[in-house]
Amino acid sequence: MNKATLGEFEEIVLLVVAILNGDAYSVTIISEIEERLDRNVSLGAIQTVLKRLEKKGLLKSDLGDATNERGGKRKRLYEITAEGQELLDLTKAQRNSLWNAIPKLSFNF
Amino acid sequence: MNPKEHKPLRIALAFFNWYCHPDFREEIEGDLMERFNTYYLKNGYAKANKLFIKDVLFLFRPAIIGNIYHLTHTDTMELTHQNKRLITILAVALSILSIPLIAMGFTNEVHWSIFDFLVVGILLIGTGLVLEFILRKIKTLRYRIILGIALFAVLLMVWVELAVGIFGTPFAGS
Repeated sequence: MNKATLGEFEEIVLLVVAILNGDAYSVTIISEIEERLDRNVSLGAIQTVLKRLEKKGLLKSDLGDATNERGGKRKRLYEITAEGQELLDLTKAQRNSLWNAIPKLSFNF
Repeated sequence: MNPKEHKPLRIALAFFNWYCHPDFREEIEGDLMERFNTYYLKNGYAKANKLFIKDVLFLFRPAIIGNIYHLTHTDTMELTHQNKRLITILAVALSILSIPLIAMGFTNEVHWSIFDFLVVGILLIGTGLVLEFILRKIKTLRYRIILGIALFAVLLMVWVELAVGIFGTPFAGS
């Protein structure tokens, strides 16, 4: 089996890119993670993961518009690819199947 | 309002522009500026500047040791110029070497000969080069840390042996 796999943080970033739906770039991704998961993320960590996911073919990107608040610099907008979507679906199905396989008695403690 | 207050510390931005790979410079600089402006509106200029410097340093850090938050393999090297990191490592080695040189100007307790500087210089720069080699060849954070610690342990032992000869080898003049 030679399929791409997702680390925990990679999965979160992919999901957030999907949530942001067209407005996903590093700053908005960080805000979304901090807001939804109450987890601090550095710009370096996000940039690293975004570049890696793009290299894996799970994300694609394009340069957007420059704005004044960005000092006239353009942002790189990310979008999930069909392959990324497929891998997310697979990951979700695997997680669900694992949850469903837990015997009910396991929670009686 | 002072127009300077709309801009982050110039030296931090210059450091970022120096180490960041040109392919990523525009987008990341834009991110840094956008975050600076958000910090500025929320916390004022002084705090925004501090947070901006933190962002710049944290962007540089993953390129040196890998990413602390996820211990898988990383491609963080791509964000920076490897040669600039090498220059940074060598500059740190030379800065350490300059400490006794400066100290000699202030106290008689420190008296190094040219030979001492030469030996320690080779030792420090050699360690720096080996560290750079490890960072270029090893992509996994765990192995980087292990090899880095081993390298500094060897450096420390050689230094201590040369300084006070605890192992009694001929190098220490025993």
